[in-house]
Amino acid sequence: MINTLYGLDLLGSSRALFLALLIGFAFGFALERAGFSSSRRLAGVFYFTDMAVVKVMFSALITAMLGLSYMVGLGWMRLDQVFLMPTIYGAQAVGGLLFGVGFVMGAWCPGTAVAGLAAGRIDALVFLLGAIGGSILFNELFLVIRSLYTAGDQGVQMIYTTVGMSRNWFILAFTLVAVAAFWLSEWAEKLRTGCAPYLGSPFLRAFSLALVTLAVGLFVLTPAATRASAKPADTALATAVDEKSLMEIVEKAQDHIEPEELADRLMAGKPNLVVVDVRPAAEFNAFHIRGALNVPLAQLAEVLQPYMNKGLIVLYSNGMTHPAQARDSLQRQGFGNVYMLTDGLQGFRDRCLKPVSLRPEPLTTVNAVRVNAWRAFFAAPAVTGKVGLAAVPLNAAMPRVVETDWLAARLGTPGLKVIDLRPQPEYNAAHIPGSLSLNIESFRGNIGGVPSMLLPPVMLAAQFSLLGLRQSDTVVLVSGDKLHDPALAGMAFARLGHMDYAVMNGGYAKWAEEGRGANAALPAVTESTFPVKKNADDFTVDFRTVAAILGAPGAVIIDVRPADFYTGKKSDEARAGHIPGAINRAFTEDVITSSNKVVTFKPTDTLAAAYRQVIPSTNTEIIVHCRTGHQASQTFFVLKRLLGYPNVRWYDAGWTEWAARSELPIVNETPDSIKGK
Amino acid sequence: MITETDILHTGPKPYANPYLAGVLLGLVLLASFVILGAGLGASGGIARIGASLSMCVSAPHTLGSEYFGKWGANPLNYYLVFMFIGAFVGALLSALSANRVRIQVERGAASPVSRRLWYALAGGVIVGFASRLAQGCTSGQALSGGALLLTGSLVFLVCLFAGGFATAWFVRRQWHD
Repeated sequence: MINTLYGLDLLGSSRALFLALLIGFAFGFALERAGFSSSRRLAGVFYFTDMAVVKVMFSALITAMLGLSYMVGLGWMRLDQVFLMPTIYGAQAVGGLLFGVGFVMGAWCPGTAVAGLAAGRIDALVFLLGAIGGSILFNELFLVIRSLYTAGDQGVQMIYTTVGMSRNWFILAFTLVAVAAFWLSEWAEKLRTGCAPYLGSPFLRAFSLALVTLAVGLFVLTPAATRASAKPADTALATAVDEKSLMEIVEKAQDHIEPEELADRLMAGKPNLVVVDVRPAAEFNAFHIRGALNVPLAQLAEVLQPYMNKGLIVLYSNGMTHPAQARDSLQRQGFGNVYMLTDGLQGFRDRCLKPVSLRPEPLTTVNAVRVNAWRAFFAAPAVTGKVGLAAVPLNAAMPRVVETDWLAARLGTPGLKVIDLRPQPEYNAAHIPGSLSLNIESFRGNIGGVPSMLLPPVMLAAQFSLLGLRQSDTVVLVSGDKLHDPALAGMAFARLGHMDYAVMNGGYAKWAEEGRGANAALPAVTESTFPVKKNADDFTVDFRTVAAILGAPGAVIIDVRPADFYTGKKSDEARAGHIPGAINRAFTEDVITSSNKVVTFKPTDTLAAAYRQVIPSTNTEIIVHCRTGHQASQTFFVLKRLLGYPNVRWYDAGWTEWAARSELPIVNETPDSIKGK
Repeated sequence: MITETDILHTGPKPYANPYLAGVLLGLVLLASFVILGAGLGASGGIARIGASLSMCVSAPHTLGSEYFGKWGANPLNYYLVFMFIGAFVGALLSALSANRVRIQVERGAASPVSRRLWYALAGGVIVGFASRLAQGCTSGQALSGGALLLTGSLVFLVCLFAGGFATAWFVRRQWHD
């Protein structure tokens, strides 16, 4: 399966820029070969004298469309690996009409004008200068036309869905239209100029036939490919089945998954696969299939609700009775995607994990290799707490973000404190053994009339003392599904000069998903005396500092709120909009949320590339803010601790204060008609 | 003595078969989808040059503006800008190898140079503006989005030809011989 640079979120990387340069080279070459370096030739299409635009453009469009459809049909790539532009009816209809007017006047479009410029056309140069001016004009007029820019926004919309056809039928129809357009173009040229070398030529016949054949071929390809990859994950079992069909499924053993298949899927790291161990916790802790979740039968439906009819759920126990009953019960409750492991855990051990040498019957070489691979993957010593306490020391150069593996290997080490920031009911139900519960809001309060401010050092130190924290401790902060919670807690540690803290990537959701140990016991805490450091905080700024750098060259203010709040479309503050000159990068853009609510930071390279686009240099003075300082703490963490920008500061009071101080300037050009309240 | 071969060597070579040139362009587009995960684009590069000029005039104004502001302080650090540069070099190589480079204003023989250049300038301004509004041009919307079968891109394509044909008669004089 091909991963594109867009799919990997690396379109901003230097590799992508270099590849874009090469693709651009081929693009320009093809345009010039086609004769698109001549404005007269381009304009000809509108006077029916030279139809090259239609011929080249539709040949290219159909070629790429068929090529991509084959790539997808053969299972080599998925369409979600390609950036799909949203459909915005108003903007694209008006934009298209205007573009057509400009195209026929200038007789160039942006791409062809580049080719024309390369071929020495002065009118192409003038056109390009005009287009640069037109882009600037658009930016200057943006506030006036913003409503048109988003008018009729449908999100990503495929044409075959819009017109109610199947994809393959639409492709065939579109190909036929293109072929007809080729023949009509030739015919029009013959009428207008008396010369049409391709009209009725063997070449055009063969070309037309080839395109149509390829379009028809998709009908043969697609169902086969779907069948191959659909079993059993995507088999569309009816959501609500009656008892009869349930019995039929049981009879045909369609409710089973074989151990070998499960092992292969787990090893391949297939997404959307949830393996559930329904045995008691003690048995689970002794041994379980790697990656399995431990869920008591009574809570199955509740816990599995997010995965209902999404991907594949596999239940197992020692034998098959409990999973079978549970599976049928879930199916009655509307789960169409639950399977049980044939022969249970015992079968998995016997068929997948039993060493080749102990097997009664000899194995083929291929199967022996498979078994050894499974054993290496599943039978490796489980990484659990308390294992290798002394072997894996806490090192001085601790990463800013630690993975679950890192924590699991060190759990129980003296001096390692894990702080769980999830809501109390979730903590009470199950948490990482020994972790301390903390409500992040207890670090904030009203200071000088501004709500939700990080508390002063003396108050934070008092809380740290109650938690039994010491200066020598290494602290790992664990959240549920919000990385800005540990980031905000990190601001409290930084305020007291305690930099030996890390955020656990993926939080408790990832820990639980990986089936790592958890319990509900409260840790033993001895109260400590955490020293009050008053001058460690050199990163929090107030509105005066922000106001002073407004418009200062080189300084960057980053507003990390969601775009709608930045633009002023939405507001729940005194005034809507943003600080003049502030740029918008929502904090959510720095993280990836998986389908099962596991939130992780994007790869550091990706983040670095993204921020290089926004921040001119390493030493740029940066101020981050949001509404209350919470979301901005995450961006602060990313910039300062992950990417190492030295001059990052945090405007804690944020938009709450700025909006309420009417003497401070703001930018809000959202038309009154769509202003949120 | 001038032979026919000499004439062939000094005159521009004819353009490629438009259908095969189209297939080549389509394969380049396919490569862009597969490697970059995004289609071809030209107006994006132009707009970012505009944003960078705007930054030169007033960085705070540009960074604070709603549209260009989100591209940050280095608008040129973007894949479409590199694609734009690559396209120029690729076209130059093709034009040189086919002996098609001519410094000239392309126009009808009976039309003054000034008319053609004014039309090119006005057309450029409109196209630059419209590309931003529609979030793409003939390359990014009509061709790339069309090949992806996106509804909005095909709406753009149809409207483009409608706008062009509706205007063609009024601007025809630049091509009069």
